[in-house]
Amino acid sequence: MFSDDQLNEIIVEAENVPSRVVPEKTPVNSSFSMVSSISDIDVTDSQSFGNPDDKKSKQLLRFSTSLNESFLQTLHRSPGSVGIDTSHENIQGQKLIASLIPMTSRDRIKAIRSQPRTMEEKRNLKKMVDKEKSKQSHRILEFNCCAQCLNSVSQAYRRSKNSLSELLSYISLWQKTFKVIGGKFGTSVLSYFNFLRWLLKFNIFSFIVTFSFIIIPQFTVPEKNTLQFTGLEFFTGAGYFQDTVMYYGFYTNSTVQHGSSGAPYNMQLAYIFTIGACLIVCFFSLLFSMARYFRNNFINPHIYSRGITKLIFCWDFTVTHERAVKLKQKNLSTEIRENLSEIRQENVKLTLNQQLIHVLAHLAAWVVSTGVAIACCVAVYYLAENNSEFLKNHQNPGAVLLLPFLVSCINLATPRLYSLFRLVERYETPRREVYILLIRNIFLKISIIGILCYYWLNIVAQAGEECWETLIGQEIYRLLLMDFVFSLADSLLGEFLRRLIGMQFPTSLGLQEFDIARNVLELIYAQTLVWIGTFFCPLLPFIQMISLFIMFYVKNISLMMNFQPPSKAWRASQMMTFFIFLLFFPSFTGVLCTLAITIWRLKPSADCGPFRGLPFFIHSIYSWIDTLSKRPGYLWVVWIYQNLIGSVHFFFILTLIVLIITYLYWQITEGRKIMIRLLHEQIINEGKDKMFLIEKLAKLQDMEKRANTSSFTMERRDVEQTSPLHVREHNAAHDLRFRRSVQEENPKV
Amino acid sequence: MFGVPELDEGVQKGLFYRYQDLAPQLVPLDYTSCPDVKVPYELIGSMPELKDNPFRQRIAQVFSDDGDGHMTLDNFLDMFSVMSEMAPRDLKAYYAFKIYDFNDDGYICAWDLEQTVTKLTRGELSAEEVSLVCEKVLGEADGDHDGRLSLEDFQNMILRAPDFLSTFHIRI
Repeated sequence: MFSDDQLNEIIVEAENVPSRVVPEKTPVNSSFSMVSSISDIDVTDSQSFGNPDDKKSKQLLRFSTSLNESFLQTLHRSPGSVGIDTSHENIQGQKLIASLIPMTSRDRIKAIRSQPRTMEEKRNLKKMVDKEKSKQSHRILEFNCCAQCLNSVSQAYRRSKNSLSELLSYISLWQKTFKVIGGKFGTSVLSYFNFLRWLLKFNIFSFIVTFSFIIIPQFTVPEKNTLQFTGLEFFTGAGYFQDTVMYYGFYTNSTVQHGSSGAPYNMQLAYIFTIGACLIVCFFSLLFSMARYFRNNFINPHIYSRGITKLIFCWDFTVTHERAVKLKQKNLSTEIRENLSEIRQENVKLTLNQQLIHVLAHLAAWVVSTGVAIACCVAVYYLAENNSEFLKNHQNPGAVLLLPFLVSCINLATPRLYSLFRLVERYETPRREVYILLIRNIFLKISIIGILCYYWLNIVAQAGEECWETLIGQEIYRLLLMDFVFSLADSLLGEFLRRLIGMQFPTSLGLQEFDIARNVLELIYAQTLVWIGTFFCPLLPFIQMISLFIMFYVKNISLMMNFQPPSKAWRASQMMTFFIFLLFFPSFTGVLCTLAITIWRLKPSADCGPFRGLPFFIHSIYSWIDTLSKRPGYLWVVWIYQNLIGSVHFFFILTLIVLIITYLYWQITEGRKIMIRLLHEQIINEGKDKMFLIEKLAKLQDMEKRANTSSFTMERRDVEQTSPLHVREHNAAHDLRFRRSVQEENPKV
Repeated sequence: MFGVPELDEGVQKGLFYRYQDLAPQLVPLDYTSCPDVKVPYELIGSMPELKDNPFRQRIAQVFSDDGDGHMTLDNFLDMFSVMSEMAPRDLKAYYAFKIYDFNDDGYICAWDLEQTVTKLTRGELSAEEVSLVCEKVLGEADGDHDGRLSLEDFQNMILRAPDFLSTFHIRI
């Protein structure tokens, strides 16, 4: 996000650019640029939980809005006037400047930035504010050197942050490709590629961390690899790769120390802390992304959910390709027609019979989908259990690929089966259909991963095999690899074939559309496997990085060749919120549970890996705390561990505090919803009042005109007529005041 | 360097070169003397990012000084800064409102809506359907029931359309 500090720098530098003098009299058209945002944004905006900076700038906006609104109203009354009352404008401008002066420079920049003025005006405003401020600051004493020091330190920090973010934006991947995709297919398809890039960043980070802290130290204490290298290792992950840094089993459990003066490097602690750090960073990053998406996309379920207004005003400006624009216009017309006919059909009620049939159809679909998911899980478990005997009977090393092959086939076929249910079930809104499809698919994928984890942790880990962690790592590697191969085949062959078929029978099928939901779920599935597998196979983020990279290009090429732009409006931002939530809730929390069970409950293998010989993985931490408690300098670490991390009371109190805060925020939200409803009613009433007054005024003017024409001859009758008019006017005003007082009472209730 | 808050320096320089490319004989490479140069609308409207946009004329008119579509460098940077990813929602809503307000009266009335719908659907809808659509839009979004959309109504409606931020965006 472009920071305000950068803005500060830029506007400061802009001071040095000589700008043309803005004429004092601004033309009528640009006067509208002085209107700022609505004043009730504090109430209706769901971002009101934001930081105080926003609140201050909103207060400023509210302040200048009330000023400018009155200004605008004078303009409405005289639309033909060219010039403006410059003294009036100067007074308001000075008020604005006066309100900007006491703000800190950050807030000032934010406030100026959010004003809808042209850049010239913003620059001049800042200049004027700075001039006024420097006049005032002559009277203020100089900062003491402490504050100056802090100031320069913070400025240096801000500058380094700026240059870092600039550097990051330079190496931002695939900017041009995104522009092309967005230009041809719109923002909805782009959201899939954005998600892919975001997951790639996770993997790059995990890879860098594991590489620096685990893999490189291991390289410095290499062990001899006596196994043969055949080409099959890339597919099976076994064989030569077994004794490389790829798997858990290769890592030493010793404390690496080079020379007598080198710092000792405890591989056990390094391993567990590195994996822990990766997961913690992923956790917080997911949490913050999710929170940000929720905040930006919080929908108040309102009349606009099925409305036509969004179709009209949310035209996708990113689409730039000529054919795509024409297609989009055609699709929009179709959608508008559908929407119009839907609104007409909305009021059609279904008979009891039809409702019953619909409910039965839904029930049947749910039963079948759950049954299919359970059947697949049972099949996977059965095959996994019998895998070891099967492998003994068939000596072919490629036989280990059977289980991953079956899992990938299930992942390929079952979502398409679920999509077929659409023919039987009828949903009220297409959005509900998409959500239910997503839920069924994620249920299937998570159950398969869950059953595999259960198998690995309960059977493989406790079967007494030599190096079970490496075995699990190999399994995960094979699953990922098979999934990648299937995705490649699907994109390169399947979609290509589908296009050929579609072109042969042009009327019925036509070109296919990019199924965003299915593709995103595949990404989530792969990422879940990577997170679980990083503990057993530290090189897995690197492998996933490469596969994501390749997938991007393959999907891009396939998209350009085989697909047409989407015909229906796809609520990209709502969907992204849901996807990130799915990534967090079943996927990441499942990973945390699995790893927690591994670390706390399972016995590491006795002969290989960094934790060999320990009764549990977690004992490495316990013994570390024990050694620390003997050293006097590190007792605070031990204290933190015993009283904060190891203590139940602390977590109990923390949970209680979090629950209380959540409850308070929930109540605030409810109160605000009520406020929104009341204000909405008030707006409607104000509108009615306005119409009422306008009618009244028109009638009065009519009557006065008639009275005036006949006033020359009948003056006495005028007097009699105007008095009832006055009475009526008085009554109208009385009505208005009464209605207003009733409304004012309501919010107080 | 040009005082544009939402774009970083590299992008601003890139934009300046794009602006210069549109009319190399008009726009000098050296802007320290701040010449009073306006690139005519025909060249702006031929930019690849804008040439197929149904609202390109309105966009150019809204961001130009005199409302005629001829843009100075400041207008140009302003336009891309507002249409960039980083611009705040309120700013975008304000300018979107101005773009859809075809007769520049500060309100989106039924006539403005008809123009918008016609531009969006490229004449695919019949006149009756267009007026039906305008009626529906006014019915949904007009909060104070005065027969036209004010800026507040528009912003209120935008709040409930989270896609607006990502769709009201021109990539440069």
